[in-house]
Amino acid sequence: MKRRSFVNATTLTVFGAGLPVSGAIAQNRFAKYAGKTVTINIPAHPHYDAMVKLLPEFTKETGILVEVDKLAIGRLKEKQLLEMAKPQGDYDLACYIVMWKGEYVAKNLIQPLEPFFANPALADPAYEMKDIIPIYLENLGLVGGPKGYLAGPGAKLYGLPYGAETSVLAYRRDVFAKLDLKVPETYEDFSKALRILKDKSGMGALTSRGQAGHQCVHAWLLHLNPMGGSVFDANWKPRFNDKMGVAALKFLQDVVSTGPAGIPGYGQGEANTAFLQGQAAMYLDSTSLAGVVNDPARSKVVGNVSWALHPAGARRASQSGGLGLTIPKNAKNPEAAFLLMQWLTSKAQDKAVTRLGGAPMRNSTMADAELVRQYPEFIVFKEALKYSNPDWRPIIAVWDKINVQALGVGISEALTGKKSAEDALNDMVPQVTQIMREAGYKV
Amino acid sequence: MRTSRWIALLYVGPAVLVMAAACMYPVFSAFQLAGYDWSMGTPWSSARWVGWANVVSAFGNPRVWSSLWTTLLFASACVSIEMVLGIALALALERPVRGMFFFRTLFILPMMIAPIAVGLVWRYLFDAQFGLINALLGLVNFPAQIWLADPTLAFVAIVIADVWQWTPFVFIMVIAALANVDGSVIEACRIDGANWWQMIFRVKLPMIMHVIAITLMMRLVDAFRVLEVIYVLTFGGPGDSTEILALHIYKTAFIGQQLGVAAAISVLLLVVVALLSWGALHLSNPMQDDTR
Repeated sequence: MKRRSFVNATTLTVFGAGLPVSGAIAQNRFAKYAGKTVTINIPAHPHYDAMVKLLPEFTKETGILVEVDKLAIGRLKEKQLLEMAKPQGDYDLACYIVMWKGEYVAKNLIQPLEPFFANPALADPAYEMKDIIPIYLENLGLVGGPKGYLAGPGAKLYGLPYGAETSVLAYRRDVFAKLDLKVPETYEDFSKALRILKDKSGMGALTSRGQAGHQCVHAWLLHLNPMGGSVFDANWKPRFNDKMGVAALKFLQDVVSTGPAGIPGYGQGEANTAFLQGQAAMYLDSTSLAGVVNDPARSKVVGNVSWALHPAGARRASQSGGLGLTIPKNAKNPEAAFLLMQWLTSKAQDKAVTRLGGAPMRNSTMADAELVRQYPEFIVFKEALKYSNPDWRPIIAVWDKINVQALGVGISEALTGKKSAEDALNDMVPQVTQIMREAGYKV
Repeated sequence: MRTSRWIALLYVGPAVLVMAAACMYPVFSAFQLAGYDWSMGTPWSSARWVGWANVVSAFGNPRVWSSLWTTLLFASACVSIEMVLGIALALALERPVRGMFFFRTLFILPMMIAPIAVGLVWRYLFDAQFGLINALLGLVNFPAQIWLADPTLAFVAIVIADVWQWTPFVFIMVIAALANVDGSVIEACRIDGANWWQMIFRVKLPMIMHVIAITLMMRLVDAFRVLEVIYVLTFGGPGDSTEILALHIYKTAFIGQQLGVAAAISVLLLVVVALLSWGALHLSNPMQDDTR
């Protein structure tokens, strides 16, 4: 069975039980929790800024009050770990970055969602789980299975995508037209375009993240994935220093040398700003940029940006990731939290949050005619999702450590020219192997 | 009198107890944690006693030593510049000059800003594309620099940010000390014909050496603990060129989830800071009897 069929089959089987519920029960499912307060922990993030605007409507419809605890995204995890470790935590619902899901489950900090969806007193019969973009559901929600973070026997749903994303190429169509340049379809075209744009456009070619730690690893993995490489082989041995890994890092070095100045210091914010302020002709990263690219208050490139698929290397493959919602094990009001999560991710509210600049997580939202008129790029995004690879990044429980403390240093050293691509990657193999051994992998 | 000893104990005892508990408990906790393998988010009952393993792991990690070296460089660069600038500014603004109140207020403002905000402000100032510093360099036909993307420039950037924020602390300490210098001594020097240099280096600075030593010690301790500004400004990069020990401890604890190893490195940091503080106090210790 193919992975996506497995996701669909699993979700339909598990959650089908919740469907034959009488309308009366469904309508009253909020009554028991009216007056209770759900505390939700969210990051400062455009999607969640849009979400907050929907909450008064939720309280009006259900009588459930919502208290929002908003933190800088960099401080979210340490606060959540402290809260979730208490016998009873302050959070009923928490937003997490996809990379944390394995660690949270391994530490028994979050609840599987199956019992909630199987409870006729809570589940909304009109929810339509199969409408959720399968790749997002698998990437953000499933933990377990043979790899630990993908679909397969043993995988359980622990969260729902909310603020999910894939990777696409945004480019300045005015610059491309002026230079009579074709939009890169392959990495070969992409490489050539970098040099031409650098020499002739008067701006950087491609903006990119590059700061030490998670940011530069993210940028490298974006290229490693379509080039056919991966961090580990099937037996969890590091293979990131093979020819694909080196090619991806050399490509990223080219991006640095042809891009806007200062990429090795760029976080996601700086990378986005360089494109939005007209300092780079291309952007290859999260779809989340779409919400601001035509906002005159934040963008100088309004009306000049077109979108295309992530160029193909040995394969066509885009990333998948972003944010999700989960219920902590020690939540005071888990049922009310589930009702809020279910309401936010319902068909109607997914459209509502998208209208406000949020990221859609349902196929029906991506296909909505009115929203496609508002965001024509959804046509490209929908196509990109067909090639989205949930295994582009091995989000095992120790990934954060490998990501920031090992790869995040070596890749950064290669980007500043302190080490060659080969040396940087080879030098990291012993450290990554050691981390894997300490985590119990037989490598 | 026999009773005075008990009265003194009664007066001082509670404060000593509170101080001891507040100061020593975290230190002893760090020592205890250094012997356990414990990950955040798991119950303490699941922590495993590993003895010296965390210390061995910490001391055997070359990244710890490179971080310590970076920290020593950072602290010595920052503290030297801050001491020289702070003392010079205090001497310059010591005498009543026009607009002194304005300058004094202006100089202490950076110290009052939250470190996270300082980091963000400097991140924008150092931005290679849109930063004010590159814009100013452009005015004098100096090429734009990739401040946060080059290992040496990134180190310079974190030193500049720290100097900007903490020179006012040295300034405020020294100007307060200078205000307390006995005017009759200065008067006597003038009558004896001391010139400006002699007045500064032979009279004023030696007379406030206690305060300078304490200020030096406090700045050294703080420079070893600085975290937020570097976290925001460079996150230790490029590579690990600005990864000072406090940031390495933070990453080990909160990203690597090795709280025991992080505690072991904290103990190393504590030892280094204690040694340096001891050295600073040796310059001039105000707690010693100076009637000798």
